[in-house]
Amino acid sequence: MQDFLELAVSAAASGCIYGLVALAYLLMIRPTGIINFAVGEWAMVGAFAAFLLLSRFEWPYPLGIAAVIAFMLLLGSATERVAVRPLLEAGAPLLAPILALLGMLVVFRETISVAFGPDPFPVPYPLGFGRLELGPLAGSYQSFFILAVTLAVFAGAWLFFERTVAGKCFEAVAINRRAAALMGINLSRVTTLSFAGGAGVAGLAGLLVSPNISAHFLMGVPLAIQGFTALVIGGVGRVEGALLGGLLVAFAEQLTVRYAPIPPGFAQGVPLLLLMIFLLARPTGLLRAKEARA
Amino acid sequence: MKDALLQVRGLAKRFGGLTAVRDLDFDLDEGEILGLIGPNGAGKTTTFNLIAGSYGADGGEIRFAGESILGLAPHEIARHGVMRTFQHNRPFGGMRVLDNVLVGAHTRFRSSLWKVVAGIHHSEEMEQRRRAGQLIDFVGLGELRDADVGTLSFGQGRLLEIARALAGEPRLILFDEPAAGLTLAEAERIAGVIRDIAVRGIAVLLIEHDMRFLLPLAQRVVVLNFGARIAEGTPQQVRAHPAVVDAYLGDAAAL
Amino acid sequence: MSSAARWLGAAVVLSGAAFFLGDYHNDVYRKLLLWVTLALSYNFLFGVCGQIAFSHFAFYGIGAYAVVILLFQVGLPLPLAVVLGVALCIVLALAVAIPSTRLEGFYLALATLALAQLFIVVLNEGGALTGGTGGIASYSLPDVFGMRITGPRYTAVIVLLLLGTLGVLWRLDRSWFGRACRAVRDNPEAAAAMGVNVARTKVIVFTLTSALAGVAGMVYAFVDNTVNPPIFGLDNAFLLLFMVIVGGAGRHAGAVVGAVALYLLPFWLHPIVGHHHVLVFGVLVVAAILLQPRGLIGVYDWVRKS
Repeated sequence: MQDFLELAVSAAASGCIYGLVALAYLLMIRPTGIINFAVGEWAMVGAFAAFLLLSRFEWPYPLGIAAVIAFMLLLGSATERVAVRPLLEAGAPLLAPILALLGMLVVFRETISVAFGPDPFPVPYPLGFGRLELGPLAGSYQSFFILAVTLAVFAGAWLFFERTVAGKCFEAVAINRRAAALMGINLSRVTTLSFAGGAGVAGLAGLLVSPNISAHFLMGVPLAIQGFTALVIGGVGRVEGALLGGLLVAFAEQLTVRYAPIPPGFAQGVPLLLLMIFLLARPTGLLRAKEARA
Repeated sequence: MKDALLQVRGLAKRFGGLTAVRDLDFDLDEGEILGLIGPNGAGKTTTFNLIAGSYGADGGEIRFAGESILGLAPHEIARHGVMRTFQHNRPFGGMRVLDNVLVGAHTRFRSSLWKVVAGIHHSEEMEQRRRAGQLIDFVGLGELRDADVGTLSFGQGRLLEIARALAGEPRLILFDEPAAGLTLAEAERIAGVIRDIAVRGIAVLLIEHDMRFLLPLAQRVVVLNFGARIAEGTPQQVRAHPAVVDAYLGDAAAL
Repeated sequence: MSSAARWLGAAVVLSGAAFFLGDYHNDVYRKLLLWVTLALSYNFLFGVCGQIAFSHFAFYGIGAYAVVILLFQVGLPLPLAVVLGVALCIVLALAVAIPSTRLEGFYLALATLALAQLFIVVLNEGGALTGGTGGIASYSLPDVFGMRITGPRYTAVIVLLLLGTLGVLWRLDRSWFGRACRAVRDNPEAAAAMGVNVARTKVIVFTLTSALAGVAGMVYAFVDNTVNPPIFGLDNAFLLLFMVIVGGAGRHAGAVVGAVALYLLPFWLHPIVGHHHVLVFGVLVVAAILLQPRGLIGVYDWVRKS
């Protein structure tokens, strides 16, 4: 049982990372319908930024994390300006920005590869290597840190969508772009904000996961797929769905590795299998979007 | 008396708590032009979409040439000989005018995929191209046969919609607000084309807002309000009908 | 010159070239022909029918591994191995396509992305059957009708594959079926209203092109006489997509130009950017989408007009 609880904490931490990536997708998909496959690479960039500021330049952690997030917000808006806005304004079909972002995925990855090389780079743990015991639950400081930060981010996202006017604008655009524009909502500002936010959240995910796995130029695609699986399982309609999906994927993955009588390499296949099953059987995810209030 | 080509009986459709169409009956014969009118929200578009197969009904029956077409998918309805146009033109952007019209003839192609791969279908293709060319001439787009659809004006795009629908050799064409967005001259041209279509024996059902366009064109009119039929008759009869005048809020000028 | 003569002429020229190129250039040439073949079939799926999928290279791999495993691990005769391999690709393609095509949006893209990754995982973990991370090597094509087909003579097989693929796709493209595919790409709702069975069209195109990729894979298996997981990974799937976009999606010439350009470019870029030619490709793709969505073929047309 103790074993399971420890696993639960570690799985929950992984689940939070996937949930954050899923949230990043969600922030961009909802108002624009654009699936940004480059979120994984954004996470990777966040991890490398963390390496630079925290390992190489040894900035204090709070300053470093704030700087990484600020940088990612800028990167997200820049990406939107370059690869998305011109296409949307020219009336191109949604396929076009999605493919352009695929191209950007490759650009991000190769740029980092050129700049840093193929080796992994260490990122420091904010709270050190220690273990914490909270009642029956035990896990590393990092795991609990990840849980805390993720909960804070999701709480913030939930509040944003439920309680603020800006959040309602996002919802409005998500439901009906044309109507929202007619009501005076600035579509391009919403789009820029959604990309900035998506990049910020993705970068944060990269920063949080990198102490465990090191910053590496290939870490993007697996994260992108796991995050997307989380999104599909949880459902695009609700913020909480992203976190729920992430936790489900992580638990399925780690429980399979620990308890199922199959080779550990197959564990990588679990999120993929889940993704395919959900896409083909229940594409709208587990949580339904809120019903429109008449 | 022979059964009408299109028979609608007791048609009903609800969206959540809202009843869009209730207990609707009407008939349409070959070569007839029937107008479906009513104020906004009266249920015209819903009725149109039910016949075209965009969604299923909650009750009633739609029979075409004796067969029930209720609940069939749009492509199956096209196969039965019912074609439609779209209010906001929907051309196939990556193709020429001729190819757009040829897509309309999709249900008329007989050769299987095996024959296509083996290369033995070319005479059918040539024949269909000839017919498509004739249709393009018929609607008046003759010189634009090989033009990219992106270069067409709105009015020309509307004519393309019609040629494309005709390519399916329909027995019934559904027109979704054919005059919407057109200049007076363009609308007159469309009205002429529609009359020519009816003369060839094709049944025409059109929904329309613009009374000046519809009333001279339609032979019979069904008026809807709040999802139900409130009047039916010739344009002159319907114009003077008290319920109809009421529905349009006494706006005699609109009628 | 009649059409049959043209095809024969092309076959002779393309195969004949193999006898004049040295070993090294022959290897590049054969791989190039295979990439062109894949680009042609992928172009039909993506450019003509508008379906994004990342599984094309996975089916290439499934065909390759299937024929090798069935021939050398299971011991089947060559014709049976080929037929079963194709059948496997068809069954898998149907299993993915039939549910996905019911749905709107990019579900097919995502399901195929997952399929592609899953295939690599299965290969890596397949133990003795798939040869694991090292793959299977050092086998060779059994004699066909008593003939040993290797080296430049095998190039003729690849040319046959290329021209056969092109022939099938060409005929489909200019028929009612090709038009129906484009209609599905441009406006699925209008296509349905015209009588096109949109879901069935998508399934047919996906299954057909995946099977063509599988057959290409079978031919590939005997080019290097080795198959291993990294060859069939996502990187190559992206590269294929990039080839079609940069070359000009929707036209056979575009697929050919894109494949030739992006396959040969790394050789010329090597002195400048080393292994990072992929960066150039990424930039090219973004540039293509932003500036000239019709790709290099579009640029060529535009230059010709002015």
